[in-house]
Amino acid sequence: MMKISAVYSQNFFFYLLFLSVWLIITGTAYPQNHAEIIPGAKGKVCLKCHEKFKETVRNRYVHPLMKNGECTGCHVPHASSHKNLLTAGPTRLCYECHKKVLPENAGSAHGVVKEGRCDQCHNSHGSNYKFILKRSGNSFCLDCHKDLNETINKNRFHHGAMKTGKGCLNCHEPHASNRFKKLLKNDAPALCLRCHTTDKPSFKQKHLNYEVANSNCNSCHNPHGSDTKGILFAAVHKPVSEKKCTECHAGPTSSTPLKVMAQGSELCLKCHKDMMDNTLKKDRVHWPLMNNTGCLNCHTPHGAVQKMLLKGPVSSVCGSCHSDTIELQKLSIENPENKIWCEPVKTGNCITCHSPHSSDSVLLMVKPTGFELCGTCHEWQTHSTHPIGEKITDTRNKNLTLDCYSCHNGCGTKNKPFMLHYGTTHEVCIQCHIERLKS
Amino acid sequence: MNLMKDAIKIYAVMTIATLCLLFPKLSFGAAEIKFRHVTSIYSDDRGIGINHPEGVACNETPVLIVADTQNERLLRYNFQNGEMETGATLIKVPQLSYPGKTQMNSKGEIYTFDRKQRRIIRLTSEGKFKGYVDPIGMPSPHQYIPRSFALDNEDNVYILDIFSDRVLLLDVEGNYQRHIQFPENHGFFSDLTVDFKGSIFLVDSTNAVIFSAAKKSATFTPLSESLKQYMRFPTAITADERGRIYLVDRNGGKIIILGQNGSFLNRLSDQGWKDGRLNHPSGMCINKKGEVFIADTSNNRIQVFLILE
Repeated sequence: MMKISAVYSQNFFFYLLFLSVWLIITGTAYPQNHAEIIPGAKGKVCLKCHEKFKETVRNRYVHPLMKNGECTGCHVPHASSHKNLLTAGPTRLCYECHKKVLPENAGSAHGVVKEGRCDQCHNSHGSNYKFILKRSGNSFCLDCHKDLNETINKNRFHHGAMKTGKGCLNCHEPHASNRFKKLLKNDAPALCLRCHTTDKPSFKQKHLNYEVANSNCNSCHNPHGSDTKGILFAAVHKPVSEKKCTECHAGPTSSTPLKVMAQGSELCLKCHKDMMDNTLKKDRVHWPLMNNTGCLNCHTPHGAVQKMLLKGPVSSVCGSCHSDTIELQKLSIENPENKIWCEPVKTGNCITCHSPHSSDSVLLMVKPTGFELCGTCHEWQTHSTHPIGEKITDTRNKNLTLDCYSCHNGCGTKNKPFMLHYGTTHEVCIQCHIERLKS
Repeated sequence: MNLMKDAIKIYAVMTIATLCLLFPKLSFGAAEIKFRHVTSIYSDDRGIGINHPEGVACNETPVLIVADTQNERLLRYNFQNGEMETGATLIKVPQLSYPGKTQMNSKGEIYTFDRKQRRIIRLTSEGKFKGYVDPIGMPSPHQYIPRSFALDNEDNVYILDIFSDRVLLLDVEGNYQRHIQFPENHGFFSDLTVDFKGSIFLVDSTNAVIFSAAKKSATFTPLSESLKQYMRFPTAITADERGRIYLVDRNGGKIIILGQNGSFLNRLSDQGWKDGRLNHPSGMCINKKGEVFIADTSNNRIQVFLILE
């Protein structure tokens, strides 16, 4: 008897559930007097008022939603939390449909794409350029990449690929590269070999009969052009410019062509012995110089955009290991409180104060004391009436004397003014003058 | 009956959860570690100030060895009951020019890394020159540049060879035993240590990652993810008798303590000039008494702390 009643009550529950669902689906559970949608309400009606978009529809390339008169694909007809009655925030809206534009583990991605600023390059409704771009051609890319534009215009020798076919897009992806850095479509040499054939006699002759089909072309050639024939980099290692590859590598007919004669700094020692001797005489050596990568931790062996064959700008080379200090420097630059700037910090030129190879001073400083170092640019004697100097003991620590580092941090101090260790002048003073400490 | 069992189970789970919330330290077995500043050492017995010390060695005896780096000498102190017993004894040998990391073996002999010559020097416990620790019988001897070293409980020597990307394991007499190659995808290794179990730990300064190799292991594996959120640029590493790992954050002026498994436990001290604060610290030593000695380099002093748990 108990079992039967349980089965009945279970069945009754399911009947009730089915009825409710059915009522919701058929709409019988809702009142019948809701507003009727007129034909074209999803978009065509919008054009009655928004007349300028009638012109847009006549463009050569129109966004499919616009073309199909579906304004509601992106806009809410009545009210929205977002500007222009958009259905989502402007930096997220496009990604609702165009998900593949930015792959999850992309090797690199265009800054504007990462930020969701698609409207920087595309006209969201339509345009006369393919992919509803605002403009086409290299000049469009170079409008933002101004430094590159300036360099390219100054160059005497240009890379043909930049001025033919798709221009920048011959080598770069516009949105993101699945596997490669700098939005490249492939790495060198695979990318270069799409156009350049290595088995031509002229090619072989130019490369001194070395088999370079598997070498990194960007080690010697600047893909954006240069002032040197063969679009070699602006700074070229002397043996490269003199075509004396055998100074460092085994000859082209050797069983191991291109093999370097020695590892790390030992190879460089052959020509740069004096420099190396001077480096090793000092008390403190910059340790990376001593590992098996040696000089090539910071320098490139063949050619570079930067002087002294540096791998990149000084701050970026130093930052590849000392990211914490470069981060501090960057935060300090962005700090609106810093009205007066120490020039090397502003420009990220670490080697104004630090010797990159070796030094007799701590932290590889180029001068032993703060006075001497800062004094190369600043007349610290006129800095203030506060007694500082080698005879003035720091009251916080009897083994220290008062110098520039007592109050300032040479590498920057984030959100604090004048590169001070503390947020206010008062806070700096009370470190020693405890009697001035406010209760 | 079943209802009763369920009720008991729920009650037990609730009780354990409540205890865990109320006594988290008990539940995870990790007491909070703190440092109490004991004293600071500023000079030798003639009043000559310590200048940019980069190493400090201690053991269970009162002997304390300081690498007074910029003054190109070692100093020997007797430290007991939180105080200096006598003045400093100067240790200066012509073979030693610029001492850095320093350690004592079980017999009290002093090992110090001369960072200018890039050689490890062995001195007697009295500070007399005994010899260089140049590995005997190692493969590729011409491709060897040491960056740091460590001693284990049995006085074996471990050398960080940055030229050949390897850690060399030597016996007490400096005979090559074996080596372990650096792991792939590492940044720059500045220091190494060996704990009481014989496990080797490397500190990758640029990525703030610790790598470890168990006593008989042939490879290093990462002990942690990047610890950049806790430190800026760790350059020295040591371990205590319980296997806890201590990192010296040179740029951040802090000491970071990790558990044996690499988990973050605490971060102590901060950048500063007053006693208790650190300015570009370079080396650290900890003994079984829980005394911590730190080479507070840019503050030109050695700071002594006591571990409180």
